[in-house]
Amino acid sequence: MARWGMVIDLDKCTGCQSCAVACKAENNVPHGSPEEHERRTAPFWHKVIAVSNGEYPAVRIDLIPMPCMHCDDAPCVTVCPAKATYRREDGIVIQDFRRCIGCKYCIVACPYGARSFNYKEPEEKEYHRPDLPPERADRGIWPFPHRVHGVVEKCTFCFHRIDQAIREGKKVGEEVVPACAEACPAHAISFGDLDDSDSNVSRLLSSRQWMRLREEMGTSPKVFYLTG
Amino acid sequence: MSRRTFIKLSGLAVAVLAASRLLKRPALGSAVSSGEGVITEKWVPTSCLNCATRCATRVRVVNGRAVKVAGNPLSRVSEGENCARANVGLQVLYDPGRVTTPLKRTNPTKGRGIDPGWTEISWEQALNEVSERLKALRGKEQPERLLLLCGLNTVSAEDIIRRFADAYGTPNVVSADGLNNEADKAGEWLADGHYTQSAYDLERTNYILSFGASILESYKPLARSLRMWGKIRRERPIRAKVVVIDPRYSITALRADRWVPINPGTDGALALAIAHVIISEGLYDVDFVKKWTSGFDEYRKLAIDYYDPEAVAITTGIPADTIRQIAGEFARTRPAIAWRGRGATSWPNGSYSSYAIFCLNALVGSIDIPGGVTYQENPEYRLMPEPVEDDPAREGRARPALDLRKTGRFPAAKVVTNQVADSILENKPYPVEMALGFNSNFNMSAPGAGRWDEALGKVSYYVHAAPFISEMAEYADIFFPLTTFMEEWAYDHSPPGSGFAEIRIKQPVVEPLYDTKSNIDIVFEIAGRLGGTVGQSFAGIGDDAQGFVRYRTAGLASWDKLLEQGVWVGPDYEYYKYRRIFKTPSGKFEFRSGNLESLLKEKGEEINSLTCLPHYEEVKFLGNSNEYPLLLSTYQPLLNIENGSQNYPWAQEMFLVMHGAGWTNFIEINRSTAQDLRIKDGDTVWVESRFNKIKARARVFEGIHPGVVSIASGQGHHAYGKWAEGIGVNPNEIIGVDYDRLSGQAALYSTRVRVYRA
Repeated sequence: MARWGMVIDLDKCTGCQSCAVACKAENNVPHGSPEEHERRTAPFWHKVIAVSNGEYPAVRIDLIPMPCMHCDDAPCVTVCPAKATYRREDGIVIQDFRRCIGCKYCIVACPYGARSFNYKEPEEKEYHRPDLPPERADRGIWPFPHRVHGVVEKCTFCFHRIDQAIREGKKVGEEVVPACAEACPAHAISFGDLDDSDSNVSRLLSSRQWMRLREEMGTSPKVFYLTG
Repeated sequence: MSRRTFIKLSGLAVAVLAASRLLKRPALGSAVSSGEGVITEKWVPTSCLNCATRCATRVRVVNGRAVKVAGNPLSRVSEGENCARANVGLQVLYDPGRVTTPLKRTNPTKGRGIDPGWTEISWEQALNEVSERLKALRGKEQPERLLLLCGLNTVSAEDIIRRFADAYGTPNVVSADGLNNEADKAGEWLADGHYTQSAYDLERTNYILSFGASILESYKPLARSLRMWGKIRRERPIRAKVVVIDPRYSITALRADRWVPINPGTDGALALAIAHVIISEGLYDVDFVKKWTSGFDEYRKLAIDYYDPEAVAITTGIPADTIRQIAGEFARTRPAIAWRGRGATSWPNGSYSSYAIFCLNALVGSIDIPGGVTYQENPEYRLMPEPVEDDPAREGRARPALDLRKTGRFPAAKVVTNQVADSILENKPYPVEMALGFNSNFNMSAPGAGRWDEALGKVSYYVHAAPFISEMAEYADIFFPLTTFMEEWAYDHSPPGSGFAEIRIKQPVVEPLYDTKSNIDIVFEIAGRLGGTVGQSFAGIGDDAQGFVRYRTAGLASWDKLLEQGVWVGPDYEYYKYRRIFKTPSGKFEFRSGNLESLLKEKGEEINSLTCLPHYEEVKFLGNSNEYPLLLSTYQPLLNIENGSQNYPWAQEMFLVMHGAGWTNFIEINRSTAQDLRIKDGDTVWVESRFNKIKARARVFEGIHPGVVSIASGQGHHAYGKWAEGIGVNPNEIIGVDYDRLSGQAALYSTRVRVYRA
């Protein structure tokens, strides 16, 4: 069984946010509003954040694309009282909308702010398409076709794409990747099997300096950032 | 590695899948809920128009609804990639505020915020009414009094609008170029005779020295730059180095190896100091300079005598050692590119700064070599016959243009966009009786925006064509609702960048959602109604948008193949064309501009010892430094959509990634400056120039020169849009009107302001 992970090359990233927008389009994630933005409740499954250090003129700002880290030791999984969040065998951390009771423990527990609460009624999503789960036909079936008001949502590593690729015998990480990786014009985002020493992600990790966010929390994230 | 599978390139082929098949798949949930039975899907190759790059795209259409935009792998310009703007195309198409039918004004009073009193009319009535007006104006033999204003249109629409102007008899086609890159273009023209932005061979370069070029946000072709950025950083044995000169820490500066803040408007001086170092240390490409350039001795003398790094350090605020270091790196790391951008060239001294920066490329031999400056090949569209001319057309076109291009005021200019508002207000050189705007929105996008409000209010008959209401549309007597680029036929290509030529075909990915037409179709319809020589000029070139695209692209490839692939790519680029590329009196690259000399002689303009050399002129700022101590600059974030609207939630909520902010813009102010002014982050402040003032939110920011404040463009819409109106501020409300004299480029950053708590 593969263990899926993502490697994001911060030296290649241009901060263009194609990843974040493509994620919204792929996963039918509702857009926010000025008010939600102010309250920080706008839903994002993938967001580019800025981290600022230093003073003029020695300022340094890093832009960091942030999907869910799909931690091997995920605090969200531990705290979920409804078992709505669980880790699949392939390491992807999943949120089952039908089990979620909307208690938001997981949002509090996640050290990465990777989770969003769906405050939206379906009819609020003016641009979206309630009749169509994302990428239904050519990328596989999305398991929770209806967005549900009052539940927690998060990045799935586009597991509908992965599952579909495996069924069709395609190579995950080469032929099929999550929407954010596919949309990256700089080819900064790679996806693949961390347990396969021959995979592109493993090769990148063995040849470059890398870091993970909040390593000290002991969450063992499966999103790696290439720095040097 | 091909990590993108190109599924179903067969474009229009429709894959029909039975829902029952889907249901059999082992999934966690009940995958298909609704029982429609059949899902049809297709990928349609087309191209984007959310910026002038016009990237090739493919759009996934499911059950007749566009649901996803992706790149087209057959495009070599962007190598199958897109930027975030392309994805926003879905929200352009499905913008709930689009205008669905032609509109006519009932309220004769025009002005900002005044309700036009729209009433819906038929296309027949709208087109007839406009055509009658056009006929009458031409009947009076005053066709030059028709003004055509163009925002961001497809290349095919630009071609058709220009043809209409020629046939009708007006010299007054005014694009937005005069607000963007004209000084940049003039700089290259001074040196080699090409009035164009440069094509930089980013893919093969080893060193980029950017002078205010926003390579990763607004410089075109953007998606190509983004793709190549990944390539030059980590997909080759040599990792290219990037140094960014800019008063503001832009996204490009953030991703560069080094950011060097500079005193605003002094880039030309820096370029000459770099030349000073390169020449005095003997680091220049002697061979190239000797063989393929002229005027080097005068240029060398100027640089050596007047642009000592110590002296220039005071002008630019960059230490002399840093200048020496950058110059040394630039000259020794070949191939290297000196890349000029709006930040360096949109100044009253813009053409000369642009020229000075461009000359650095010649010094290190980076002209028409792999990894240097290249000469963009244009696609060979099928030529149209010359428009049929009659006397009114000939005489009208021969009249001086409203924007004073090519006059003593703006001798080298091709278009002086911002001058037009004043020409309208002053009736000079003649009154404007009628104007047609195609996707233009100059009373938002031009400095001194308020003048455009007055000017538009004065034009007695204004027709606006766009998919949505905008600030400019508020002044229209007739509104033509346009199709979006997802619903129409067009051809397109990118601004210079790739070297080789590439065409994209736009085809409707969905049927037009509303009772709308493309601007090409509108022009054909009007030309037909005008008849006479105008009508004849539009006969035999395809009759409508689709026919026109087919006519112009005939001979490139079969129509079916063009539709299926969506792009046509020209032959590989050829380097080292020195015998052919220099369009100058000497036939060489000129450090002393013979083109300018002959132009000024022809106009009877004064020429002194500096006039034809790249040199630095101190900028005269608008407003004195006691009263207005700070300089106001602007920048274009990537998610500023260039079609004249910003009514797109995805673009809004990720608008300023560096500030983690959306749905707004800020007045960015250096921390120490803010402390002096007792301004805290998030405070509401007044930003006041000599001309006007606006209220904005302050963002205390480490990444900005202490003497500069900056506002992102793209916000401050006031006419329309649930997701745009009332959000942020428009800096053009307070920026003064100023120009680069040679090119007529609007000087965007020379206005001084004071900032105080509101």
